[in-house]
Amino acid sequence: MAYSDKVLDHYNNPRNVGSLDRNSSTVGTGMVGAPECGDVMKLQIQVNDATGIIEDAKFKTFGCGSAIASSSLATEWLKGKSVDEALQIKNTDIVNELSLPPVKIHCSVLAEDAIKAAISDYRKKQGSEVAVPVAVSVA
Amino acid sequence: MPCWNCGATEPARFCAACKALQPPVREYFAFFELEPQLALDEKDLQQRFYALSRKLHPDLFSRKSPAENEHALEATSVLNDAYRTLRDPIARALYVLKLEGFDIGEQSTKDVPPELLEEVFELNMALEEARMGDADALAQLPGFCARFAAMRAETDLAIAQVSAAWDSTHDKPALSDLRGHLNRRKYITNLIDKTNVPDRV
Repeated sequence: MAYSDKVLDHYNNPRNVGSLDRNSSTVGTGMVGAPECGDVMKLQIQVNDATGIIEDAKFKTFGCGSAIASSSLATEWLKGKSVDEALQIKNTDIVNELSLPPVKIHCSVLAEDAIKAAISDYRKKQGSEVAVPVAVSVA
Repeated sequence: MPCWNCGATEPARFCAACKALQPPVREYFAFFELEPQLALDEKDLQQRFYALSRKLHPDLFSRKSPAENEHALEATSVLNDAYRTLRDPIARALYVLKLEGFDIGEQSTKDVPPELLEEVFELNMALEEARMGDADALAQLPGFCARFAAMRAETDLAIAQVSAAWDSTHDKPALSDLRGHLNRRKYITNLIDKTNVPDRV
């Protein structure tokens, strides 16, 4: 199977690799995994308290090229969005942008799960217990 | 289903009345005339495999009717798939989970305990540091490999224990424990692979 140019670009030059202080009250951390492929993905957001805007996003993924590209793209999209806008990012948007083939769609689902987990963690720290819906869409 | 050849009811692998070979049972344990079980006697399975290979070899049916010939081909194909799956403890466990309605291929994060993800992430970080580092760091790789091998051996032990437990109780919670151990094993196996080969693209 050939990866698309965009996947290769993100794989070779991943954006925003790294980590933020997970103990900070303005940082949300999402740690997700896909046991069937043995992937693990950490995605973090730094939110401006006053504006509710995501000012920074970092990730680190151990997995295949598509999993790395999906999370790399996710951090690019997250920056500058409000938390509510970030929740609108769907795995299908990632699939379309990266031209992921059907066998790699679960990588995009993992990235969406990671976004939701990070936002959920941030909101928990902020004391608002608003439930974040878990990703269910697959294609 | 009655015998395709003579219409006798409830034929075995070979019809008792007319001796014709019947279409194969598709369920692997039933094919070997075994109950679904995790801690299988692998020697016994091998003997069943050899015995059936001799009985079902398509050459034995070359002078029979085209229908029976076809059944022999199908049966041999199921026999090989069934043996390949059931003789390996991990493939067998995955097969039992599927039989019992646990779909191992459709899991999401919520099926994985957060501690396992944290642990695997930390191990991956440490391993990556060693792989990217200087000669001293690289020298740690065999140590990582030994540590992961020990973790896998522990997991295999846990799998054997929960397998024996399920065989005697057929308890659903034992199967979800089993799935947890298999997930852990998959993560550890990936880590072991990374101590040997360059990153996959």
